[in-house]
Amino acid sequence: MQTFIQLSATALQIGAVYVLFSLGLTLIFGVMRIVNFVHGHIFSVAALVVAYLLPALATGGLSAPAAYVLASLVAITAALSVGALLYIFGFRYFQRDLVGSFILSIGLVLLLDGVLLHVFGGAVRGVPEIFPGRVSIGGAQVTVQRLFLCAVAVLMAVSLYLTLGHSRLGKALRAVSYDHEAAMMVGVPYARIAFFGFMIASLLAAIAGALLAPVTIVSPVIGTDYLIKGFIAVIIGGLGSVPGAILGSIFVASIETFGSYYLDSSYATLAIFGLVIIVLLFCPKGVLGRG
Amino acid sequence: MMMKGQSKSGAAVLALAGLIAGAAQAEEVIKLGLSVPLSGAAAVWGKGAEFLCNTAAREIREGGGVSVGGEIYNFECLSYDNKYNAAEGTKVAQALLNREGVKFIGGSVGTAPVQALQALAERQDALVFTVAWGASIKGVDHPMTFTQMNTPGEILPLLIAYIAKQYPEAKSVAMLNPNDATGKETEALAGDVWGRNGVEIAASDFYERGTTEFQPIAARLESLKPAIIDLGATPPADAGAIFKELDVLGWKGVKVVEVGTGADGLKATGGDAAEGVYMGAGVTFDGDNATDHQKAVNEQAKAQLGESLNAVQIGFYDSVYALKAAMEKADSVDPKTVADVLPQVSFKSFYGEEVGFYGKELYGRNQQMRLPIIVTKVIGGKLVEVARLTP
Repeated sequence: MQTFIQLSATALQIGAVYVLFSLGLTLIFGVMRIVNFVHGHIFSVAALVVAYLLPALATGGLSAPAAYVLASLVAITAALSVGALLYIFGFRYFQRDLVGSFILSIGLVLLLDGVLLHVFGGAVRGVPEIFPGRVSIGGAQVTVQRLFLCAVAVLMAVSLYLTLGHSRLGKALRAVSYDHEAAMMVGVPYARIAFFGFMIASLLAAIAGALLAPVTIVSPVIGTDYLIKGFIAVIIGGLGSVPGAILGSIFVASIETFGSYYLDSSYATLAIFGLVIIVLLFCPKGVLGRG
Repeated sequence: MMMKGQSKSGAAVLALAGLIAGAAQAEEVIKLGLSVPLSGAAAVWGKGAEFLCNTAAREIREGGGVSVGGEIYNFECLSYDNKYNAAEGTKVAQALLNREGVKFIGGSVGTAPVQALQALAERQDALVFTVAWGASIKGVDHPMTFTQMNTPGEILPLLIAYIAKQYPEAKSVAMLNPNDATGKETEALAGDVWGRNGVEIAASDFYERGTTEFQPIAARLESLKPAIIDLGATPPADAGAIFKELDVLGWKGVKVVEVGTGADGLKATGGDAAEGVYMGAGVTFDGDNATDHQKAVNEQAKAQLGESLNAVQIGFYDSVYALKAAMEKADSVDPKTVADVLPQVSFKSFYGEEVGFYGKELYGRNQQMRLPIIVTKVIGGKLVEVARLTP
């Protein structure tokens, strides 16, 4: 039982990160009907800026939490700027064009790979724990840093859910997601809404990057692993579905955690891909998706 | 008067052209291809390899170059990112051998990408230096391949015996390695050596390179309650992350990273959990044993790379000097002729000693540099040399 609690806690912690990641992917797909492979790089930019800026700020005399908050704000701003540039000079011209956006996306991945490597170097960066210590929850050991991450992930997911359900912007996003032509006919400014959707997704990735920097290996290629897991989560949950993204993320994290424990890390990775094949065979639009 | 002036100018131009031609003739360049990871968790190896190859090439140029057949040659290092995988390693091999026309590989990292490189290089009679750990890339079937760093065959028997002797009460080990050629070959040998030292293998797992979430892996390792955790060929940054998660779970035991090359990456991701880790390929230049040359180059490396030098990178310095020695002895820059002579030469290694090649008993031919095996341990946040063993 103790093992089960520990593994469940681990799955929830990992799933929280995947949730932030997959929510962005599913939002972009829902609104723009494009697959955005550069999403991982926006995440990487935020994590890298935190990793580079935080030690310098801390050395400059700021307390660790204050340095972290300041570094995170700069990181999120930098990541959002990259996101805005990608949209304005790239994705704006390929909305609802799955093939075109796919090719553009791959090209931008290669470009940003080179740029990030050149700017930040290839070596991994370590970010000291901002909130040290650990707590025992039902016997499971969890670090305070991870708990903070989970709390923010839950907060972001709830905020997004409420925004989509109850705000004017959220209703517009849902409207263009269902039928963008009908939405435009009733006065929804699609181009502007698509931009907001893209930027909200970028914000989610940026926050995930800033949150994860102190608990993971920060390097220019860090986004790739999360991008793959995020995509698998939204495919399982259903492209374009917010509850589906959350469900898929928790599911992927659970397979990864329990599979690694009872089998082997490599087999767990295989199991995740096996799961995707099974879901696509029996449920091509994902568990909760509209396709 | 005008004509006279023009003649003078013409003569000057001709003389200058002659000088330039002469200089160009004296500046014969031998390209040294490097297939190394320049991104990801192992990037620090590639960046440092590039730095040390350039350092050795510059030192040789300043020392008068390589004298062969009355000509003076100098080295130029060309590094390409193999991303530590076979697919990228194949692309790098094509680029180096076919596009750049490289005949000498000054160094290469990663068994899987090196296997791809070796397959192409052997067909083109190009000479390959490598730090790859896989025993499969060595032997009589690979007469053009030479190892520029200690590999499991050299390190593991001595390192594991040393640790087993230090902790006689530790009788179980859990092993973890990357799921690739490097990891598989390291795991096979390490498992055998731990067994020979009376330590039981509690489990031996593999993980995919590029993994960023190590909590599930740590949970499994901790559940086995091993006295020793051996992370084999895991890069230091990944190893640090795993030990950090193990620390959260409360595991206390003997930590080993056989391919551990430096404490910086380990501390960057592991923090305090890096304390006590044993490494089989780490080198420290903080002690009294370090020479002025080692200290000076290491300081340059720290300024440029942000980390101290390690054994993987040092191989890229040594191979350049080994090539110089072999080319001068063979009086040739033909790769096959140089490869024939290489096992007979000795050269001054970065470690400060005159070294040659050995390994006939283990691999069937002398293709392994005879380098010291330095056992290091992270103590008080610093990498400390605890033993220097001679193979």
